[in-house]
Amino acid sequence: MLKFVAAAVLAAGGPAVAQAQPVGQALYNDNCAACHQRTGLGLKGAFPALAGDKLALGPVPAAATVLLMGRGGMPAFRNELNDAELAAILTYIRTNWGNKGAVVTSAQVAAVRARATATPKPRGLQAH
Amino acid sequence: MDELGKSVGGAWTRRRFFEQLMAVGGVSLAMAGMDALGFGFASAQTAPPPLPGGAKNTKVIILGAGLAGLTSAFELRKAGYTVQILEARSFAGGRVQAARKGFEDTDLAGNKQVCDFDEGQYINIGPWRIPYHHQSTLHYVKQFGVPVELFNNDNDAAYVYFEKGKGPLAGKPIRKGQIAADARGYTAELMAKVASKGDLDAALSPTDRQLFVDYLVGEGRLQRKDLSYTGTDGRGFDVLPGAGVSPGPGRESAPYAFADVMSSRAWQVLSSVAGWEQQRTMLEPVGGMDMIPKGFVKALPPATITYNALVDRIQQNAKGVKVSYTDAAGKAAEVSGDYIICTIPLSVLKNIRMDVSKPFLAAMANVAYAPVNKIGLQMKTRFWEEKHHIYGGHIYTDIPGVGTISLPSTNWHGQKGVLLGYYSFGGEAAKISALPPEERAKFAVMHGQKIFPEYAENFETSFSKCWHLDPHNLGGWAEWSDEGRKSAYPVLCEPDGRIYLSGEHLSYLTGWQAGAIESAWQQIAKLHARVQQA
Repeated sequence: MLKFVAAAVLAAGGPAVAQAQPVGQALYNDNCAACHQRTGLGLKGAFPALAGDKLALGPVPAAATVLLMGRGGMPAFRNELNDAELAAILTYIRTNWGNKGAVVTSAQVAAVRARATATPKPRGLQAH
Repeated sequence: MDELGKSVGGAWTRRRFFEQLMAVGGVSLAMAGMDALGFGFASAQTAPPPLPGGAKNTKVIILGAGLAGLTSAFELRKAGYTVQILEARSFAGGRVQAARKGFEDTDLAGNKQVCDFDEGQYINIGPWRIPYHHQSTLHYVKQFGVPVELFNNDNDAAYVYFEKGKGPLAGKPIRKGQIAADARGYTAELMAKVASKGDLDAALSPTDRQLFVDYLVGEGRLQRKDLSYTGTDGRGFDVLPGAGVSPGPGRESAPYAFADVMSSRAWQVLSSVAGWEQQRTMLEPVGGMDMIPKGFVKALPPATITYNALVDRIQQNAKGVKVSYTDAAGKAAEVSGDYIICTIPLSVLKNIRMDVSKPFLAAMANVAYAPVNKIGLQMKTRFWEEKHHIYGGHIYTDIPGVGTISLPSTNWHGQKGVLLGYYSFGGEAAKISALPPEERAKFAVMHGQKIFPEYAENFETSFSKCWHLDPHNLGGWAEWSDEGRKSAYPVLCEPDGRIYLSGEHLSYLTGWQAGAIESAWQQIAKLHARVQQA
């Protein structure tokens, strides 16, 4: 059963997943792995696992909002990464480590970005 | 809540008196009342609260030997309390750490570093400067006789390096004083010309107009005859003035073009006045910031602090408190007392089982901790002093992951020096922290080379710190949202039963040593007032 579902997802995702995979992986390793680890397992008590994570695998707007705006100790990436890059990262997270989520497109991230109106205070040049 | 129980009996106790004051006039009146009775809230930012009247055989367990914990222990002990500190690390100071030869650090990703700077070299990987108005920090600096020196927080000769601007000045190190002179000079010229023609007369009376133009001539170093900005000796010389007829008067440098200055965006480093937290004068302890916690430790009996104690469980009931921990040998141990002052960062504390109310637990989840990176790079010569004539101060950059490069304000003209190769926050910091330490150093050196041609050839060894990867901190400092300040913060500033939280996270001076100290002062004053009323 599991095998069948995985095959179906792959078939549905098809070339888009295959294409996004290396880019998504590189971007993930570069921007996310320090905390969530390359294994997607996070560090217990410190940084949440993304393997099997409900938020990461749930509706795209909620997951994309976290990447764009940050949450808790997690920094916001809206200024660092563009929609295509964020979509590639989300797709990588949702299709690896046993995760079987749907592919995320740049258009979906762009739509969330357009609605995200909250602009946090700009950081000064220095702190403390 | 037996304390309350004891005081509610019809007798006019001090506690009831304060409660009445609170009911009538709010917290400020109650505090004024406490001040009059000697609890000293009015002086909360410059001196510890007086704690008169004895400790009534009360034992306080303090979790964490950072500045909040050390301050609490030191002041409560003076007031007669029995205090015991449980500290997770093998040394005191919390985030107040200096990396010098032999200093060890292992982060959550398993990167182990042993500092191999030369003897006498160090980097403050935690707090590194003390603003003149942090009188609470300076109180203990004075009390423990810690020698301090000036920390150069603003240097006109230091470079500004902005890659993301446009035009000929983008991606070029420029002296901060030159950008300041040109940006302000041209602005003053524009304003002065408009004002002198009478175009601002709606806003200016005739007398004010002349005064305003006079001000702008001084502010921008303008030519009096035509109100133009043509440079100033303050922005430096192409040929320095000197002896005889040559170099004699020297030759002043020419200003950058107005359009180039604007498009470089390097003016981002300028403001009419520094932010309150960044104002001169700044100080630093000679030899490392950890001289401050060392002062506390010396002033406490050695048995006060139990090191290598990892807190597992925090319990309380009507009669007292109990803390279970894993000791240095890996064995389960516990300690009991009457109250707890818990200074464990909320990022870490929220993973420890603790007997507190649901609203209190929910409030703890409401704060974020900042990813923060620092790296010390030992250089075999002090080329920034010798070749560039920059004595301390900061190189501001817009390079992601680097942020600020800072030059040491100590050991001037020494053979070697350790500079701060990057100081960065947020996503940029998270990204670089994924690299192993030697790669972090490579990253720092590669970018430093863009500013100083001598950088790479002088680099010897590094020590890096990623505060979000430290198991005892999980972040550099607390970052409250406006919403969190309103809803969660006030809840956590009050005790939950017998447990008082304290630390920089419970202040508006987050990330500063003064925040930790002043939070401790506030909490021990509250605790003492309660013990007096019991």
